[in-house]
Amino acid sequence: MRILDLLLLLFLIITALGVVRTKDLLGASIIFSAYSLIMAIIWQRLGAPDIALTEAAIGAGVTTILFLVTIGRTVRREDE
Amino acid sequence: MKKLFTYFILFLLWLLMVSAVLALPPIGSETTPVTTHVIPRYLTEGVEEAGAENIVTAVILNYRGYDTMGEVTVIFCALIAVLAVIGREDVKLHTSKVDLVGIKESVIVRSVVRFLAPFIMLFAVYIMLHGKESPGGGFQAGAILGASIIIYTMTFSYDLTLKKFFVKARTFMESAGPIAFFACGVIALFYGQNFLTYMIPAFPFATQEAMRNLMIEVIEVGIGIGGGTVISSIFLAMEKVEK
Amino acid sequence: MINNEVIAKAYSSINYVVAVTLFCIGLYALIIKPNLIKKFMGLNIIETSVFLFIISSGYVKGGVAPIYTHDTPVNALFVNPIPQALILTAIVVAVSVTALALSLIIKLYDQCGTLNANKLKELR
Repeated sequence: MRILDLLLLLFLIITALGVVRTKDLLGASIIFSAYSLIMAIIWQRLGAPDIALTEAAIGAGVTTILFLVTIGRTVRREDE
Repeated sequence: MKKLFTYFILFLLWLLMVSAVLALPPIGSETTPVTTHVIPRYLTEGVEEAGAENIVTAVILNYRGYDTMGEVTVIFCALIAVLAVIGREDVKLHTSKVDLVGIKESVIVRSVVRFLAPFIMLFAVYIMLHGKESPGGGFQAGAILGASIIIYTMTFSYDLTLKKFFVKARTFMESAGPIAFFACGVIALFYGQNFLTYMIPAFPFATQEAMRNLMIEVIEVGIGIGGGTVISSIFLAMEKVEK
Repeated sequence: MINNEVIAKAYSSINYVVAVTLFCIGLYALIIKPNLIKKFMGLNIIETSVFLFIISSGYVKGGVAPIYTHDTPVNALFVNPIPQALILTAIVVAVSVTALALSLIIKLYDQCGTLNANKLKELR
């Protein structure tokens, strides 16, 4: 199971880099949602089911939706 | 040039923080300072003292009640600030038949959400009421409740949500968290106890522990309803169309 | 400077190292990226990295979640509940901070028509 933890942490860094490097803000929001889900799984593995539940609902759901709403009302490309 | 400089600074910061972090006790050891002071008492006596089998809930609502009361107030203030900046949605603007954000095309999404949304809300109510003895509680329930309303709005229409979940009802429900907390905290003052200790004497029909558990349950429900309504209100205010 | 001992230490507390790395990634987005929405995504990454750090510091090896059920053994080993209680409220506060910032961004776009921080500096 140690390998699973290491893989999750690796994916965490990859998705974080993906959020930062993606020029399309819509894509970045979706990758941010995946980042939050991976974080929720890590917290479940660390023995914190309360936090995992909150992060899966808020980080992957609500925050992403708020970003999407903002992008819908403003610009989608990063360099505008 | 500026970019290179930033990379250099960030690398230095990274090295500094890694060297600091490696000086900490390793993860998982039982003797770190984090786990020594009050934690054994919370873990062994939390169930009797605080009245919750889930120690996290016991810490949130009883041992560190002041902290949580402040956080609930912060969430409420954030809602007030959002509404002050962009304003609440105008009911009169949304009486038209125009579908604002509804997904017209996808039958699959609409059917799945129509089937699932009540169950998501039921799950939220379940973890709101069972936060004492299983993972969950007010904050999680609020998040899931808000998410279910958001998913309903995104799939069906903005108008439909406003019709079923109208502003006048939401205005009272948004402040449910702070009000439940303050009310349950103040009750102890009338019996000469400290604020937020939930220590009120036994009634003829209920013991002291039963009253304390009841108050914790009331606060959970208050935080759940308040949090869910705050999240959905923020979403509805940001989603509205300016005319 | 980098020898086997340091590598073994880093391996045993890999969560801390990852949290620090995520902090630097988020800070990079916050400094370099001109777009305001991207800056706030970076801020969210910083927040979650700090949460990861604090939750990891409360982990006890072999511990289970701090919840008593009817079949919990007498001297069971639990993880630390305090960091979890701390972070649970912090997550909800983080999302309200994000919502406030994003509503300010929406208002700013309505007024100025751009979200590029460099262009906003020129507008004045």
